[in-house]
Amino acid sequence: MSEARWDVIVIGGGVVGCAVTRRFALAGAKTLLLERDRDILSGASKANSAILHTGFDAPPGSLEVACMQAGYQEYLDIHAHLNLPILKTAALVVAWTEEQLAQLDGIVSKAHKNGVDDARQISRKDLLSRETGLSATALGAVEVPREYVIDPWSAPLAYLKQAVRAGADYRFNTEVTSGTFDGEYWQLDSGQDQFSGRIVINCTGTNGDSIEQICRKPGFEIRPRKGQFLVYDKSASALISSIILPVPTATTKGVVLTRTIFGNLLLGPTAEEQQDRNVATVEREMLDGLIATGTEMLPGLANHSVTATYAGLRPATQFKDYQISAEPRKNWIGVNGIRSTGLTAALGIAAHVERLCGETYSDLANFGPAPAPEWPDMPVLAEHEKRAYQQGDGTEIVCHCERVTRGEIEAALDDGDVPARNLGGLRRRTRVMMGRCNGFYCSARVAELTQGKISPPLAGHEKDQ
Amino acid sequence: MNSFDIDVAIVGSGPSGIAAATALSKAGFKNIVVYEREVDIGGIPRHTHHPSFGLLVFKRPMSGPKFIAALVRRCPDVRFETGASITALRPGGVLELADASGLRTIRARHIILATGARETPRHGRLVPGLRPQGVITTGALQQYIYTAQLRPFEHPVIVGTELVSFSALWTLRHAGIKPVAMIETGPRISAYRPATLLAKAMGVPIHYNTEVTEISGIETLTQITALTGGNKTATIPCDGLIFSGCFTGENTIAAASHLGLNAINRIPLVDQNWVTSDPCISAIGNAIHPADMGDQCYLEGAKAGAYVARLLAGNISLDKAFSEIRRGEGIKMTTPSILRSDNLGEPHFDLSFHVTAPFRGTVCISQGEQVLNEKSINCLPMRRITLRNNRFATGYPIDVSLIAEN
Repeated sequence: MSEARWDVIVIGGGVVGCAVTRRFALAGAKTLLLERDRDILSGASKANSAILHTGFDAPPGSLEVACMQAGYQEYLDIHAHLNLPILKTAALVVAWTEEQLAQLDGIVSKAHKNGVDDARQISRKDLLSRETGLSATALGAVEVPREYVIDPWSAPLAYLKQAVRAGADYRFNTEVTSGTFDGEYWQLDSGQDQFSGRIVINCTGTNGDSIEQICRKPGFEIRPRKGQFLVYDKSASALISSIILPVPTATTKGVVLTRTIFGNLLLGPTAEEQQDRNVATVEREMLDGLIATGTEMLPGLANHSVTATYAGLRPATQFKDYQISAEPRKNWIGVNGIRSTGLTAALGIAAHVERLCGETYSDLANFGPAPAPEWPDMPVLAEHEKRAYQQGDGTEIVCHCERVTRGEIEAALDDGDVPARNLGGLRRRTRVMMGRCNGFYCSARVAELTQGKISPPLAGHEKDQ
Repeated sequence: MNSFDIDVAIVGSGPSGIAAATALSKAGFKNIVVYEREVDIGGIPRHTHHPSFGLLVFKRPMSGPKFIAALVRRCPDVRFETGASITALRPGGVLELADASGLRTIRARHIILATGARETPRHGRLVPGLRPQGVITTGALQQYIYTAQLRPFEHPVIVGTELVSFSALWTLRHAGIKPVAMIETGPRISAYRPATLLAKAMGVPIHYNTEVTEISGIETLTQITALTGGNKTATIPCDGLIFSGCFTGENTIAAASHLGLNAINRIPLVDQNWVTSDPCISAIGNAIHPADMGDQCYLEGAKAGAYVARLLAGNISLDKAFSEIRRGEGIKMTTPSILRSDNLGEPHFDLSFHVTAPFRGTVCISQGEQVLNEKSINCLPMRRITLRNNRFATGYPIDVSLIAEN
């Protein structure tokens, strides 16, 4: 395998890495994705709020807003071809204090500056008649009609699957630790294997600055920001119809209440700076705080149970904007500081990186002929669409909370493009064990179905057998 | 639109569902179906192998699977459909059913919900830390060991000391897995004290006044952190963590339907004959009182089924209106939760409930100024208290209250 020479090597299989891999593969580049974990989306991308943002509140003129809006548009253009869902919820930026109410004007004009022309202020009366579950202490809101909810895991998986069908390859369990550049090719080393590629694109998220060191002194520092979330049972999702956003502060978008594409209600995130780049724990006080905040906004939440808690790390830097740059004559592009907007922006970032690559390395960016794109048909996981159990795929439901069939589980394990090879990957591809019972009903069955197919396994063999 | 596919649809094939089906079958109803979403019938007892079943129904201790087999022998005419998941409940006796061939709707003259209970897992308890593999519930453990014959771990910790926690201990012993410890937030075990003998015999320490404050391990569990007495922190290396007990009713379809619910726990309201706010739907068993013994559920299901038989035979006309049973401080839930009168003469009801904490004193059922029943009790939360044959006047709320002894 060290014989192979790649046009482009992407390091990091988060949503950005997957989108970039897709972009270059579709452009005809021989592209390889290297991911240190057992599956894509194992870092920052596994934990976000799954919103497709218009960019209404992003800094006007920033690279971030440009990438978000390009990504937003491309997602709308391609999602049907990939069978990716959209839940058209709209968002409401709700003011809870007089001070916040006074800021709504500014939010509307910023949105207009960003080209989100349909953002508008609505009265307290309109707000409360639209969102009857909301606490009557709400004072008013800005409505952003084109903020939507998407599937944060199927989308990047679809990008990588499409890349694979266009000839891209990927290696999991492969952590790049060093690399050298001979003026023409990069030799990336994972300790076990070497990979040779003409152009390297660093999409490693929370590890961005240390991977950047392989090529150059990074002009930024990753300052991981932890976000903790709570997922409420599906019963709670009827409490709201739109995404409920707070008036943002200088440092954070604040605590969001949103339905998920899977029919749950999501509450979070917190925003906590931490040193550790790999581990994000949930903490009781923070969860209790989120519940208190959520219940203040939506009193009915108190009568619904929590299905899941999780924490993620956003790869923030000391800068507000994304840190994307190409190193002249070194065939290296760093894609860093992609914070919580990465899910929306990923396709736009990929297009930006391709452009940057062509401008900086014009002599290299003539790849092979672009293949005719194939469009993988993603399984339907969205609660508002017709799921496998409803269509009848000839197999029984295994996971009753999320209504996942045996056929769906087997398809994810045996997928020809990017099969699930660990439990997290299987969960994200199918929803199995993601429900309210946390595997009370189905985990032993899932252990049977995944034997020999995932690592680490859910269980070993019974000794007495 | 007066065509019904079946007379009675029973949702769930645990002890209460089988009992209701048996009662209806005995009353002469042929067109009844028990729908079970799992591949095998039996509910929780199908994977509970210790002999905690049968004492009330068969007067001898039996394992869960033997208990279920014996119950099924009593109703040879009842039809069970497995792999058949009821996904929605609509007015007019309409059920949405999913099986291998997809979705269809069924219309039944009466529906009996017997959907059972499950334990509250890690996330529902908001336990802090990471999300490694190896963190499960007793129900999952039993299925790993008995159904799948797989070992999820070798050195687990059990959280909780309810009866089911000792069931977890029993299951581990059967598999030859040695638990590291049991953890209890209170100063004594939640089950009856003699249960500690099993832990003692297996050499498993029980840590009292202790809670899990952190779960560690990236992919698989490596250790937990436990806080004792609010000030002593210890780490316990382990590769498994079993959250046992804290049962909650599996009321997903009922809670998403038109049925009246208890606003706080989202359990469907049922009257003294287990009829819900919709007169053509009943709810029975551990879904409405998580969780009592399998035998208790069976006896209850039999009564509820017999009542449905009389309803369908046209012998009973139900009042549409019902009155509420209000719970005082310290009462977890009551069965029934509402009262309704029919044409069968002077209305009366049996009331069952659990206390939320150990209690000694008097329980009092009253309606307005009138005391309907009183009883001295001294009990733990796990014990079901029943006050029988309480007469009441229709149309007024009933209060159940505890008066502690000084």
